[in-house]
Amino acid sequence: MKAVGARLPRYDGIEHVTGRTTYVDDVRVPGTLWAKALRSPLHSATITSFDASKAEAMPGVHAVITHADVPLLEYGHLSALGIPADEPLLAKDEVRYKGQPIAVVAAEDEETAMAAVEAIDIELDERTPLFDIRRAFDSDAPKVHQWGNWYTHFEGEMDRRQIRKGSVEDAFDKADTIVQGVYRPAAIEHVPLETQVALVVPEASGRLTIYSCTQALYFSMGVVAAHLQVPLNKLKVVGGTVGGGFGGKVDTASETMCALLAQKSGRPVKWRWTREEEFLCSSTRAPWHMEIADAVTKDGWILGRKMLTLHDSGAYGRFSPYGLTKHSFHHTGAYTIPNLEFDGYVVFTNRVPTTAMRGFGVTSVSFATETHMSRIADLLGLDPYEVRLKNANRIGDTSPNRIVYTDPSTVSVVKALAGGMDVELQPDYAAMTRDPREGDLLPEHLVGQMANPEDH
Amino acid sequence: MAVHKGRGIAAIEYPTGMNQNGDPSQAWIKVKPDGRIDVFAGTSDIGNGSKTIQSQIVAETIGVPYDWITYDNSNTDSSPVCTGTFASRATFVAGKAVEKAAERVRERILDIAGKELEIDPSDLEIVDGEVLAKGAPQKKIAVPDVAAAATWTYGELITGAGAQLKDFASIVDPETGEVDSPPHSAISYAACAAEVEVDDETGVVRVTRLVQVYDVGRAINPTLVEGQIEGGAVQGLGLGVLENCYPYYPSAEHRGGQFGSYLAPGFEDLPQIDTIIIENPSADGPYGAKGIGEMANNAQPPAIASAVHDAVGVWVTELPITPEKVLRALEAKSEPTRNGKTVVFDAELSVNAVARGGIAFEVPA
Repeated sequence: MKAVGARLPRYDGIEHVTGRTTYVDDVRVPGTLWAKALRSPLHSATITSFDASKAEAMPGVHAVITHADVPLLEYGHLSALGIPADEPLLAKDEVRYKGQPIAVVAAEDEETAMAAVEAIDIELDERTPLFDIRRAFDSDAPKVHQWGNWYTHFEGEMDRRQIRKGSVEDAFDKADTIVQGVYRPAAIEHVPLETQVALVVPEASGRLTIYSCTQALYFSMGVVAAHLQVPLNKLKVVGGTVGGGFGGKVDTASETMCALLAQKSGRPVKWRWTREEEFLCSSTRAPWHMEIADAVTKDGWILGRKMLTLHDSGAYGRFSPYGLTKHSFHHTGAYTIPNLEFDGYVVFTNRVPTTAMRGFGVTSVSFATETHMSRIADLLGLDPYEVRLKNANRIGDTSPNRIVYTDPSTVSVVKALAGGMDVELQPDYAAMTRDPREGDLLPEHLVGQMANPEDH
Repeated sequence: MAVHKGRGIAAIEYPTGMNQNGDPSQAWIKVKPDGRIDVFAGTSDIGNGSKTIQSQIVAETIGVPYDWITYDNSNTDSSPVCTGTFASRATFVAGKAVEKAAERVRERILDIAGKELEIDPSDLEIVDGEVLAKGAPQKKIAVPDVAAAATWTYGELITGAGAQLKDFASIVDPETGEVDSPPHSAISYAACAAEVEVDDETGVVRVTRLVQVYDVGRAINPTLVEGQIEGGAVQGLGLGVLENCYPYYPSAEHRGGQFGSYLAPGFEDLPQIDTIIIENPSADGPYGAKGIGEMANNAQPPAIASAVHDAVGVWVTELPITPEKVLRALEAKSEPTRNGKTVVFDAELSVNAVARGGIAFEVPA
């Protein structure tokens, strides 16, 4: 029988539904210590004093780690792509979000570890936090980082991600109507059933076996190896079966700290985040602020778009510069708009760092551009299917960054949706295909952006 | 006071693989002496079904039953590099790597079968675990017998490796964002219609039906594709009307730290979900597949926002569309401001209203 295209049973389905799948937390190794973290109780503060000596002296406590124990304190998940690191594994001198880890304890059981965390003496000098990304650029805004409140390291040391195509001025001049709107999707928790968890076993060979819930075994291995400054053959990451990720487990949240504690104590160390930690201290989907102004004609052509995006990155960059770049590349959605001016900023605030989540960078822009599209249709009294079909990507159209579309299917999915909703389209829309534009569907403003798909 | 019905639609697109590429996946395969197949790949299965999909691709490519495949993604000692399960890349990128590895294995099986049958390997094919002479299927040898011959007669290990990597697409002009090559692999497209009921007394938005169309390229496993689409729909519904880490955003206070204080969708929130799958094969994915895992929660929020407007005449553009926001919008009945040919919605949310001079959104008049 054919395997591709067949409704074959899920490879691991029976294990999952009978509760016999082995997840990280199901792995039991004798002698395992339990980890707990001292986390910042404040959104923004300077650490003025830190003393873990009482905690270290407590019976049952085997190791306490701080920033001083990390061979390479700052290593970004995207360092390999040239995106500079800005986040210490454990806070040093200052904290930038409530819940930021400052020290981690390994003890005989969770209760002892928690008691040791509470025995750490720490003094913090509270600062005014920044939460509203719209105010991050004001001269009186609190500073999240020494270098400022937004990421400044895009290509050419630009402080933003830009897209420029055609002439927005010309498009707005020719427009019958200019439609402006603001779109603000919220921060979302990933809500995996399996909270962040890691178990690290120091082997007799000197290697570390890292049981991980990561969505990316090699990614996480690289992050741990960089922080520990060891070659990859010193580590074995065991995983591949994840109890829900949705993007949140692209972060290597607990593996590195367990590895440091295992090295320091010589014992296996497990750190299993509580549900409260998962909700309050793990990274979230970012909140975004998007403003769109579209230059439109009365019969529904979109001549040009000006857009401003502020991406609430939280206290550190993590994957946000990547997410904003992807966002900018897709800010015209499923349509062809020839005149564009996009400015996007990764803005730091004193909230939990945001990270990847399903649809990363594009979920936000899909909400903004599609709600805006519906608004335009409503305002101009146009059919919402037809305005979408009219502006749909066609073979030979070009993307915001001038890549020619060879295989778009906006037309097919919109027509199929009309069919599914028993909506009857006008004959010329019902007959529309994705083939290169011609006739009425190639108005003057779209001629210049066309390219030959054979060239790509 | 009444319940109002409304409809709204959205059409979206989403790229497959990491933005700007440069994200390798690798796989290697070995064959046991009885012809059973061991696949080693580093792709985490986060519930997206990568173990199943990659096993199906290997079974199809070699030509053996699905239940002959053992898939091992359990550790970095035996499995080669996979950049990870994100960016809708597990089927598209990692699936291509296992397909390439499986092609090498099929070639090796045919080589050894050719020796056993004394037929040129190019005249052989593998069907359901048997190597057959093309056009003369009575001349055949079972794959387990080929594997046994490799092991015990020829002293060989049948194995194959494969890797998939698309070149990094550089931004050559940071002023314009122009790139030197496509920064994505196949783009997937989808459209969604939402039907809602809005209670103008309580402000509650109930999503009653979602109709969704996805161009998946090729459904390697239609059941798992439907699972991704339906699961994504529920997450999109959460984004649209329920979920929020910061109920008073931008304030960071009053966060919900438990399931009881964070509204993820439950079964009571489930709408009727109708799924339409379109197969417009990609040029470079395994068997024409595209990746639709992530985009599956992108189309519902705008379709729901448009449906709410259709129902009660207000645009709520700060998600989620909670009862409080609906009631406030109904009370405010705000109209866009008009200045010449410019129509401005949501002026009170703009940086122009909130920032103190640090940033502005200026639109050509």
